[in-house]
Amino acid sequence: MIDFDEPRRRPPYETMVPLINVVFLLLIFFLLAGTMEPSEPVSVNLPSGVISDKNTRLPATLYLDKDGFVWIGKKMIPPELSGLMMKDFLKTQGTDRVAIKADQDAPADDLLTLMEGLRQAGVKQVTLETEQAQ
Amino acid sequence: MFDEPIRRRAGFSLTPLIDVVFQLLIFFMLTTTFMHSQMLTVSTPAPTQGELPQDANVVEIWLMADGSIRVAEKPVAPADLTQAVKTALAGRTDLTVSIFAEKGSRTQAFVSAVEAARNAGAKTVATAKVDKFKP
Repeated sequence: MIDFDEPRRRPPYETMVPLINVVFLLLIFFLLAGTMEPSEPVSVNLPSGVISDKNTRLPATLYLDKDGFVWIGKKMIPPELSGLMMKDFLKTQGTDRVAIKADQDAPADDLLTLMEGLRQAGVKQVTLETEQAQ
Repeated sequence: MFDEPIRRRAGFSLTPLIDVVFQLLIFFMLTTTFMHSQMLTVSTPAPTQGELPQDANVVEIWLMADGSIRVAEKPVAPADLTQAVKTALAGRTDLTVSIFAEKGSRTQAFVSAVEAARNAGAKTVATAKVDKFKP
């Protein structure tokens, strides 16, 4: 009787490779998607600018819409009240670093009122987010 | 006769390559959208005007309600703002640039004024709001 070599069996784990690839793809997608900010409470057109200060991502972000209202999370408050609200807000956030996303058409005096409120709450510097000028 | 064992195709499977390429594609698609926003650091204004530097070493930028900008009381086109502040500073960096925003002025003008002051070499940029400029 002649002995033939049996055709070698493919190791079973090899069929798992595409599955693992897809799983890694999903993993990386959610890792990246998870670091992105939660959806914005209000849409703002950022003012254009040229200066880019090197800052790591700032923990607390406030929004100033084009009508001059301040958004803290999902809450909308007039800028005059921001001084009172900020202390509690910053305590819950555990930071005194604040970024402001202000609409380019927002009244500048409302922005300054908000910044005065932040100063009252002990914030010496804020970061305005701008868009790179074309 | 025996069936010949099916030969595996020589070379590599393309699937992992395509997977990696897709991963790179998605990575760059997600990261490039972050590049658009920049940060501009601004000192918060003093709550009362009394804390503003009152000495003569101040260059004032006025943001008017109609959208125009004045440097040292002279109207300036937005494109010439940095040059005008530079001229007003006259090479001195110990001067404070104060930016006053009139009621009705816009955030874009404010950002432009802060950047012009910084680009002109001012070390200190103060900000304040006013109800109305007296001509």
